Amino acid sequence: MTVQLSPKMKEFVKEVFPAFIGTMRKDGSVEQVPVWYEFADDSFWINGGTNRGWFKHLERDPRVTLLLVDPKQMFRWAQVQGRMVKWEEDPGGEHINHLSHRYFGRDYQNPRTGRIKIQIEPLRITGSIDGWG
Amino acid sequence: MAGAEPALLLSPQVQRLVALPILMVIATKRADGRVWLNPVWFELADGYIWINSNTRRSWPKYLQRDKEATLLLTDPAEPDRYAQIHGRLAEVIPDPKHEFIDRLARRYTGKQFRELEPGEERITFKLEPLAVTGQMI
Repeated sequence: MTVQLSPKMKEFVKEVFPAFIGTMRKDGSVEQVPVWYEFADDSFWINGGTNRGWFKHLERDPRVTLLLVDPKQMFRWAQVQGRMVKWEEDPGGEHINHLSHRYFGRDYQNPRTGRIKIQIEPLRITGSIDGWG
Repeated sequence: MAGAEPALLLSPQVQRLVALPILMVIATKRADGRVWLNPVWFELADGYIWINSNTRRSWPKYLQRDKEATLLLTDPAEPDRYAQIHGRLAEVIPDPKHEFIDRLARRYTGKQFRELEPGEERITFKLEPLAVTGQMI
């Protein structure tokens, strides 16, 4: 079941730094890469392409972990255990452009074709923002 | 195994980055296969990556069970540039006098580590980089 973010977490997720996404490869090892994210409508939204390793892993096993951490103050962090709810085409790259504005305040500089947008529902949140859990 | 060379030498780009006190994220797995991500302090020495933890935390248990972890570094100046390092647990070293965590704390904060909590025990892990992928290799 989706968990609601605490008031502190709702503020924290507005901050601008990449999230780290962790997925599991077929051989059981973990893949970890930085991604842009946005929190809206009780979900985390990220953007990618169907050719990405991490997306292929999520198609097989929708369990996903996101780490949000302030790179300047590493003791400020939250780990989100979540699940991929759905993914959809990002026609015209509207969503990636939206994320580019969140991160850099400018249009997305790379090709906007072949992008997808992914919805992740948070199931459990641990870390220092809400107190250690 | 003092003096043993690691299997893989990190590239000059990655070496430049790990010389800085930057964020590293360690990925381990819970028993049910869920990925577990935590920020950690680290130091590169003798070609190995050295990290430290309170023994009560979860990730040190997962690391000792699987003997491997995935480590991620990003360039603070360009967060889209990253190195993903597959690491093998090479050695587990108790840190009873908290010397190593003090050393890491000085690297990151310029000061020694906080007072340990009652019953807190520190432990050091030496990780051997086996493979590097990403946009900074």
